[in-house]
Amino acid sequence: MDEHLTEGYSEPCKQCGAVSWALSDGCQFFCRNCHNVIEKTQDVVDVSSFILNNKISSISSSSRKKTRREGGREWMVCEGFQFILKLQAEALVGLGVCPQFKTDVLWDFWKRYLQITRQAYTRSPVNSFTNTVYLSSESEPESAFLSEASDQTEPMSASGHSTDGRSSVCSGSLDAACYLSAKERKSRQLMNMPRTLALCHLALLWLREAITLADLLRLVSRRLIPYINVYEEFPEEMQFYGRDAIIFRVETIPSYRKVHGEALQMAEILQLPAFPPVTSDCLLHPALLSLRYLMEVNLPDELHSLVCRVIEKSAMGKESFLTFNPSKPKSTFLFYDLQAAALIIVTMKLLFKLDDHVEWTLSRKAVKKDDQGKKKTSKQGSKMFSLKAWYMTVHPALERARQREELFEARRPWKSKKVLIPAMKHKAVVLKRRRVVEQLQSSFHTLTGSVPEQQSSSPSSFQFLWGQEEDSDGPSLHHKRLNCMLEKRGKEKWLVNQAYWHTDLKRCHKKDCRDHYSELKHSLPRMYVWLLGLFSFLLRVSEAQVHKEVVEVERRLLLRKAVPEEDNHKHRKRKGRKTSSSF
Amino acid sequence: MDDIEAELGISRSVGNEDFSDSSEDERVARKIRPPILLHSSTAQARAKESGFHESSRLCLKAIRDAMLHHHWQEAAQYLSAYSQTLEDTTVNKQSLACEIIWRLGTEILQHHPNSRLEDFNALYEQMKNSGVKNYAKICLEHSFHLLLNGHIYDAKRQLSVAASWRYGKQSVPQSLDLKLIHAYCGFLDYVIWHMKKSSVSEAEDNSSNREMHSYFRQASVTLQEIIAQPGVWDPFVLSYVDMLEFYNDQEEALKVLQNYAYNKDYPSNPNAHVYLYQFLKRHEAPPAKLISILKVLHHLVPSHELMQEYCYLLVNSVVPGHLEESLPVVFNLLDYPSWKNDLDTWNCLLTVMTVFKRKGLQHLIANEWKQRKDFWLTMHYRAYHGRKDSELNRELLLVKAKVAKLLGEHGIYYNKFSTEVWGPYNVEDKKRKIV
Repeated sequence: MDEHLTEGYSEPCKQCGAVSWALSDGCQFFCRNCHNVIEKTQDVVDVSSFILNNKISSISSSSRKKTRREGGREWMVCEGFQFILKLQAEALVGLGVCPQFKTDVLWDFWKRYLQITRQAYTRSPVNSFTNTVYLSSESEPESAFLSEASDQTEPMSASGHSTDGRSSVCSGSLDAACYLSAKERKSRQLMNMPRTLALCHLALLWLREAITLADLLRLVSRRLIPYINVYEEFPEEMQFYGRDAIIFRVETIPSYRKVHGEALQMAEILQLPAFPPVTSDCLLHPALLSLRYLMEVNLPDELHSLVCRVIEKSAMGKESFLTFNPSKPKSTFLFYDLQAAALIIVTMKLLFKLDDHVEWTLSRKAVKKDDQGKKKTSKQGSKMFSLKAWYMTVHPALERARQREELFEARRPWKSKKVLIPAMKHKAVVLKRRRVVEQLQSSFHTLTGSVPEQQSSSPSSFQFLWGQEEDSDGPSLHHKRLNCMLEKRGKEKWLVNQAYWHTDLKRCHKKDCRDHYSELKHSLPRMYVWLLGLFSFLLRVSEAQVHKEVVEVERRLLLRKAVPEEDNHKHRKRKGRKTSSSF
Repeated sequence: MDDIEAELGISRSVGNEDFSDSSEDERVARKIRPPILLHSSTAQARAKESGFHESSRLCLKAIRDAMLHHHWQEAAQYLSAYSQTLEDTTVNKQSLACEIIWRLGTEILQHHPNSRLEDFNALYEQMKNSGVKNYAKICLEHSFHLLLNGHIYDAKRQLSVAASWRYGKQSVPQSLDLKLIHAYCGFLDYVIWHMKKSSVSEAEDNSSNREMHSYFRQASVTLQEIIAQPGVWDPFVLSYVDMLEFYNDQEEALKVLQNYAYNKDYPSNPNAHVYLYQFLKRHEAPPAKLISILKVLHHLVPSHELMQEYCYLLVNSVVPGHLEESLPVVFNLLDYPSWKNDLDTWNCLLTVMTVFKRKGLQHLIANEWKQRKDFWLTMHYRAYHGRKDSELNRELLLVKAKVAKLLGEHGIYYNKFSTEVWGPYNVEDKKRKIV
């Protein structure tokens, strides 16, 4: 049987001493006497048999035999992406998004995409394969539309298969080969894995849901939204192997910037009209979003009114500014979450200056004032908000959270339970490695005595927990007062801190000028950099991006001359000495 | 395992000197880097790193931290998470992963409280077969582990399987490893022979005797082959000589030892001379021969412990001229800090000096002392030494003081310490016989 494959190996078996080896299904050597399996695997896979099969199949007309194994059917890569989108939509609906997300918005976007890129719903589809798909008995609604599309196409002759037979041997889907050339991918605007998230983000934005892009990526990271190894859940009929792996396998969770860029591109491709307006009652509006972030970082609620003043002053609360309109050429696609964070930072700068001196002086004054004002010792301690106390509470919690995040990332399993075989010639090696990994893991698990599961975290929009509970990160400072930051001069209250600093607000003229944060970082005050670090950890973006957004807000706030100053505002700010730390 | 690693390192690094071809030497030296430095470059985050690689880098960092803090349970958990890197599609990272998991895995298993021999065996078997670069090394380590835990036969079996392994063109490091495997095969045969010898000594069982002899034959063939090649083969030489002595083949043993010690191709090895000396002493060779061997040893390692014996041999020798050589030998010995507080050495010095005084050779003493006076006074005769010796080792104090007196150093502070205890011993001292 297998003598020709095992004839080179003539070592005696360790258990029984006989020399009679055969090859198992998993390409492992086993002894015929005692069925002892050893680690040696077949070294050389005979590839010629495959080529022979190809030649034979091109002669016969019924060439679908080799692709239809055990009831599998032909499928296109876009079907796979459709399935993935379905799973992601279901997960999001499960997390609390309204059901129209799945049935209406995302589905419409997807149909529109297929139509515009001429992969379906069109009279002249781009794919040149036969699209006569054999529907299995349980025809799902998602596959029904493909048959609709195929009815409208011209039936191609079977000879079309012979040229493409090669590709279908190397992949489960029919058109995986098209996805591998970058030129084709770009010209036909083909789908890829980060674009699925981008589509979800656009759909969420359309519905003005509270899940921002940062939240979406955090949910992906926590595996609450299927993204890594989602192809495990493809149905059995969709045979998945070979080059499909390259399209559907992910080894990175895309960064915020990447998904944002893809979303912008998709909005262009889809030629979407203006999005529904972002009004002040929807959760994406900076006023409400900043309230959420204030609670997240344990800042007092009184700060919110100041943030709203800043929003007003910089005219960032206007619908026309906040709403995304892809049809207009100059419309900007905003980073809502970064914006809210930047507004908070600017407000803190207004209050405390954050130049490594003023904020600590003010905290000391706050503590002193509190000591004077107290007549009896209250259990809660001081009532005044002191930046120092806030820092001493938040910083250890932040370091612990960073550590936890790092360890979570270290333990993350990337490889799926289903083994991916990119090419047949590697099959034996890949299977063997998978076996070795599984054996190693099981032996170490028995050693440690437990199987440490990835903790399935309950989905929560907050990453820190402030309060008196046992597992909270620290005491809550939400109720503290900001009275010491304001002083009465005559009838109005003014900010105690009268100075403000900012970096260079001039826009760079060069197109490819990215950001100057890395040059500036060493000259910025440490408190400011720490604050940037806090928000960059919360939103899973880089500090440079947060800083860029802060500069944007400052531009709108400080450089706009046309905003008329309103009369009866209580907190007037004055442009003090501007210490510009630019070069 | 640490000393095995060191031994492996030493054997391997000295094995490098086998090749007279220097270019090969350089290539080999470049290839065999110490394992610690292999992965230090990957500690920083790279800009275009995939999430998978980032996870594996963070995992490795977590393993390292856990191991340095001796949290073995945690380290084992992170290592099982790290094992997913074996499936990395990047080729060079995947081969690194094999080595990392092998080395870290064995380290963790060694220290973990729940680890058993089966875990070690399983790990070694799996890592042997993933990736071909490390097969020979892992086989060696596996057999050493079995050897240390007393499973001699298993170790032998492992090595014999490994010895017949070939993959592709044999690279230079591979051939070194295979040579070592061959050598340890022979060594293990010797160990088994030794076990059989001690068990068979009473009974006159023919079959076990025959087995013992067959092991002897196997071992001797292998070891002869190995020892014939230039290199440092201390344990192998000793075992071969032991076997030959048992079978009363003195000439062969002597030949082997002499070849090992005097052959110019072999790297210079003081142990070779020590073994030869011990062998000859066992077989009651004439002192002249012993002296000649020790002379070479003295040139190589003046601070060797056998130098005392050498000194006594020289003093008692009838050959003229040997006596004069004994003084520099013992002075050289005491130049080294390891013999500072050794009573026997100081006694030896005292003896030699008294003999010289008797024979009227004080000028030689004076010569030697002139060279050494300045640093000996600070090395042996400071007030600190006096205090320490008077507290810890009175006899040493006395002997040193006598030596100082003989050298003519009466005024040193050290003597004051000895005069405190001098009194009661004074009479005895004068009656002391000089050997």
